[in-house]
Formats: sequence, C-alpha cells, structure tokens
Amino acid sequence: MSLQLSFIQIFISHIKREFLINFRSLVDVISIISFMILIVTLFILGIGPFEEKLRLISNAIFWIGLILAIIPSLEKTLQRDYDNGWLDQSITSPTPMELILLSKSLAYWLIVIIPLVISLPLFIVLLNINLKLIPWLLISILVGGLSISLIGIIGSALTLGAKRGNILLPILIIPLIIPILIFGVGISETVRINESPIGNLFLLIGFTLIYLVISPFISAFLIRIAISR
Amino acid sequence: MLYLQDVTIKRGSKIVFYNWNARIKNSKITIISGKNGVGKSTLLRAIAGMIPLEQGIVKNYNNEIFKDKIKWGQNLIYIDSKSGLSRDLTVYENLKTWSQMKGWNTSDNDLQKALESVDMLNYKNLYVSQCSEGLKKRAALSRLYLSLLFNIEFWLLDEPTNELDQKSIILFNKLIQRFLENKGTVLLACHELKLFDFNYELLNLDLLKK
Repeated sequence: MSLQLSFIQIFISHIKREFLINFRSLVDVISIISFMILIVTLFILGIGPFEEKLRLISNAIFWIGLILAIIPSLEKTLQRDYDNGWLDQSITSPTPMELILLSKSLAYWLIVIIPLVISLPLFIVLLNINLKLIPWLLISILVGGLSISLIGIIGSALTLGAKRGNILLPILIIPLIIPILIFGVGISETVRINESPIGNLFLLIGFTLIYLVISPFISAFLIRIAISR
Repeated sequence: MLYLQDVTIKRGSKIVFYNWNARIKNSKITIISGKNGVGKSTLLRAIAGMIPLEQGIVKNYNNEIFKDKIKWGQNLIYIDSKSGLSRDLTVYENLKTWSQMKGWNTSDNDLQKALESVDMLNYKNLYVSQCSEGLKKRAALSRLYLSLLFNIEFWLLDEPTNELDQKSIILFNKLIQRFLENKGTVLLACHELKLFDFNYELLNLDLLKK
C-alpha cells in the first residue's frame, strides 16, 4: 500500500493544521504583537524626548523588540504537540519527521510574520523610522523571521520534556539569533547612511539558508530522543 | 508472524527486556498483560518504533521492520493514553489532519463513517478541549475504522478500553472483529481480559520475565 497523498499535499495539510490551531485562538498572535509594542514603548519612554538619540538606535530597538517578543511563544510550538501525543503519532506515521518540522517552522513563520507586517506602520510611527527604510525593513523581517522560527524549532525540540524549558530556551537560542540581529540591523543602518545594504542582506539570506537546511534534521533528531525517553 | 529476536530494550538507564524472544501471531489478537511497570507500554512503544532497540531485531515474516520506517509507518496504528488530539481543533478536524498525516486520501464520507463507527457523529463539531476523557478516547479510536479502509496490518493499542463505557466497548469489539476478519493483527496491552469476546493469545510478561 503506497501513500495516496504526495509529500507536498501532506506538507500543505500540516501548514493548514497549524494555521487552524493558531488562528482559532488568537491569544498567541496578539500576545506577540502587544509584547513587542510594550518593549518598544518602554525603550522610547526610557530614552526620553531626544529625537537625535532615538534616530541612532531605533533599528536596534525594533530588532530587539522583535526577538524578545517572539521567544516566549517559541516553546509552545512543539511542547503542545508533545504533551497531547501528536508527535508520537507523527513518528509512527509514514511522513518523515523532517518534513513535518519544516512545515511547522514555515507555518510558524507565516503566523508570526503576517500580523507583524500588518502592525509595521505602528512601529514606524513609534520609532520615527525613515520612510526610505520601509522596503528594506520589510525584506529583512521576512528573511530574519524565517531564521528565527527555524532556530526556534531547534530550541523548542531541545527543551521538550525539560521542567524549566521556558527559562532554558532563550539561553540556548539567543546565541544562534545573534547573526540575524547583526545583519538585520546592518541592513537598516547601511540604508540610513546611504550605502548599499546588499552585502548585509546576502549574509542574512545566507544564514537563513543554512538554518533552513540544518534545522529540520537537528530538531527531528532531538524529537526522536525526547520521545524515546 | 512478528518475531522479536534477542531483543534488549532500555528505558532510561533501566533494562526492561534483556535478550528476549517472542512471537506474535498474525491475524490474531494478542493481549499483553502483566502488573504495572513490567514493561507493557515500553514493549508497544518499541515495536511501534518510538524506543530504539539496544540490541536484537524485530521481523515481520522476513522483513526487518525498522529498516524501512516509512513502510512500517504505513503498516501500523499506535494509540495510547495520549491520543494526539489537539485541543483547539474539533473532533472532525483532528481525524482529518491525522489521516492526512498518514498519507491517506480520505473522503468526507469516510470520515463521517469512521466517527459513526464509535458513535461520535453527534460530537463531530465539538472542540476537543470540551470533550470528556471517554469522548477523547472514542475520537482516537475512530482512526481504527479508517485503517480498515486502507489495509493497515497492525494495531498497537495501549490500554484502549480505559475510559470507555459499556456501549463503546461493544463498538470497539466490533471494530476488532472486522479487523481480524481482514487478516489484521492486534497487539493490545490491557488489564481486564474479560472485556473481549474473542479467542485471544495471551502474552503474560509477569511469567515470561521469571
């Protein structure tokens, strides 16, 4: 008996499942955006009414806010399916675990990135970001967001079944996110001083591609260990 | 026939089975019994491929089952107390996404019939977060009906009757009956043997380990 659905169809059905689960209760999505707004607002209030200061660090604030807002929700991506036994079912199904995890990280990327792009105008106003930066900012959060969700899946797989996973996870994955932060901010900064951001963009894309290749394999390996315990 | 040859299974640092041999007959129902903690679930999880064997092989006739995990995945259904139902989806959506993961092209009609086979059609659009434990178990067991349509060979069930009421147990027995008629093999861990009205093979781990 061979598979009736192709891997592509299975892949799409998994993405649909993630969307159903996450958009049915919008709590996770809203919490990411509102958390990011809070972080950015705190920075702005902390800096005080100095436009010059804000202009120098607004890109960094945006990226740090993005990373800090996404991290708390990363743990749940796999933990939920581990607790209810879905991962057990995945491992005893003919679909390769790697494919399931790739679809999970892509779905998570879309789930986080769509509301973020919608709320981008708000951050542009809050942080007084130059309008010529907008297309570059959009590209860099699209690419960087994919990286973060791919790394997040590794972290989430690593802390499966750990008692203090929510504390362990940021410690484990923030070092991996550092290149994304550097090149993400680099893109915006080079545009701000009127230079070409292509170099930074390529490096960001390069890192994302590396993570895209290794993340499903590493996290599938980690999940097999977590399930065999 | 499923042969376990010189199987050693470890759970953490504890050796649960050591150089152990067993045979599980095809087209029969084999009930694994034994006291708590003797290794019933571990055995089922190992055969399902979740716990890697330290040593030894498991053969289905002449094929080593773990050599081709994709093929083995097409051949079995594993259900335990954690049934893999997502709280935020309805009973119907859960069954649908699960069958897609198995790679099956199920029609709406198949899914309806599957839910009907465990008397869950009335609860089709109920969210799993609102289901009682018994309803959840029945929703998970509805997968067994689907497997009848797609030529699955093995059912590995870990205490499937735990939360079921009288009527559901009768329905469950009917499903097993149909599966055995289709030359299916059931491997079932359970304490209450009187629930099943078939000739079953008994694999008593208490006796085997002494």
